[in-house]
Amino acid sequence: MIRVIGIGSSFGADQLGWLAIEALQEVALPDLELIRLDRPGSGLLRYFEDVERVLLIDAVATDSEPGEVKLLNPADLSQASCLTSSHGFGVAEALALAKTLETLPAELWVAGIAAGNDHSSVPDLNKQQLLDLLARLTKDVPTTWKSA
Amino acid sequence: MASKREIHINIPVLTRVEGEGALEFDVVQGVIQKLNLRIFEPPRLFEKFIEGYEYDQVIDMVARICGICPVAYQMSAVQAFERLFGIDPGPWVRDMRRVMYCGEWLQSHALHVHLLAAPDFFGFDNAIAMAEKHPQAVRRGLRLQGLGNDLITLFGGRSVHPVGVRVGGFYKAPAQAAVADMVKQLEEALPQAEALVRWCAELDFPHDEQAFTSVALSEPDEYAIGSGRLVSGQGLDIDISHFESHFEEFQVSHSTALHTQLEGRPYLTGPLARLNLNFRQLPKPVRAVMEDCGIHFPSHNMFHSILARAIEIHLVIYEALQLLKAYQRPATPAVQVRPRAGTAFGCTEAPRGFLWHRYDVDERGDTRRVRIVPPTSQNQARIEQDLCASLESFGLDHDDDELRQRAEQVIRNYDPCISCATHFLKLKVSRR
Repeated sequence: MIRVIGIGSSFGADQLGWLAIEALQEVALPDLELIRLDRPGSGLLRYFEDVERVLLIDAVATDSEPGEVKLLNPADLSQASCLTSSHGFGVAEALALAKTLETLPAELWVAGIAAGNDHSSVPDLNKQQLLDLLARLTKDVPTTWKSA
Repeated sequence: MASKREIHINIPVLTRVEGEGALEFDVVQGVIQKLNLRIFEPPRLFEKFIEGYEYDQVIDMVARICGICPVAYQMSAVQAFERLFGIDPGPWVRDMRRVMYCGEWLQSHALHVHLLAAPDFFGFDNAIAMAEKHPQAVRRGLRLQGLGNDLITLFGGRSVHPVGVRVGGFYKAPAQAAVADMVKQLEEALPQAEALVRWCAELDFPHDEQAFTSVALSEPDEYAIGSGRLVSGQGLDIDISHFESHFEEFQVSHSTALHTQLEGRPYLTGPLARLNLNFRQLPKPVRAVMEDCGIHFPSHNMFHSILARAIEIHLVIYEALQLLKAYQRPATPAVQVRPRAGTAFGCTEAPRGFLWHRYDVDERGDTRRVRIVPPTSQNQARIEQDLCASLESFGLDHDDDELRQRAEQVIRNYDPCISCATHFLKLKVSRR
């Protein structure tokens, strides 16, 4: 079982994480637990409890084609906010805290959906890439980043 | 001996506060000449957005003002409309709103104590660095924060911008089984809250006694959260509807948030002010742990704010537990509402201090004019006053980095929520 967590908000391209969860709900793949979170900050760590495998999906600012879905190396995520506030406590900070507290799941993947340049509009999610990604993960394709 | 060098310090972005602000101060001949807490988040104009909406829509709209304290906004608004409409929703609604509010204090205080304030006392830059040396403390903070969010969700459907509160009561009463599960979690959390108070009591607090006026809601028979009269340490004792006769809001050029003064002077609102005025109303088990730790209030040391938050965490877990142990699901979670025209006043204690609302309402229950006075804007003048005294007491001969760190710690004592108030810190110190 993989816990798939779509992170986002109702604003512009930040919806992409939620839209990914909605797309997965439509295809009803087996052995997935689908969760939508609204900017959880440090609260993300709760969702690493009692689960071995977690896939995080979030919108990312990147030069890739808008809507494109790619696996990221969590170590590459920047803590750009330098923890300026809990408002600035994003996914990178939550993962860094979880790593320090040794509460990362045994297997963790982070998928980024390219938000495009205009963050106020929502690009079309590449659903096929999302499904291909899930297919690879459920077959244990070694494109994983492990907490060890 | 005070430094004679000329100092100009600019902190362009304050860290570990909610929202964005800056601090700038100039020191000439060892004296602070100018000190501005600059709040530059754009005004959010919520009061104007809300005009023309019906009372129950307002309850959900004001929740959007803050992601940390949405319950406070809802509770001040719902209290205002119910007072105007002459509605008494009864003891069940009153108790369950207090429980929901306990959830908000718990999540907000647990976050601030463990992730924002505590690293200062141990010399860490942030909570992630602190977690390496104090993992159990940080884990406790996250657990308590999560429990607070769960309490809000129990009544509000979700913890961010909850939707369960309505004028007259709630849209839905939680199921008995969900409440029983929450009681179990609160029972497990109670020893953690006691441990937190003991942990905070052992912190190395700077000695920095200052004279200031505390203002808070107060009730004779309970620690005021969702109701009460506005009282101060200097003899103020008024109904909330008389707020505008005693408190003045005004604009300063360096802040997009209005400053507030009581009878022309800065004042403190928030956990330390509440403890100073209402510690006698704390339940016996909470006072017993304080006495065992040698904790005494009132205090005029703002660095005791973290301790005040820890005590309030103990309070809200204890209170929520007592109220939910007696939970009985009602036949209906709300009473009927008939709107009437007039001016509605509401005031409750948000995690950061009292939150005052006024709504001019027409006969259909639609708002015509709105005024909201959040705690952080009220504390701005007091923060500037505190910084001048604290930094001079700390010693202006410290280097810029030390002054910057101390200034930020002083500001964090107030747990400012700038996003709410703009309606916050980068430091700029000029030495000449």
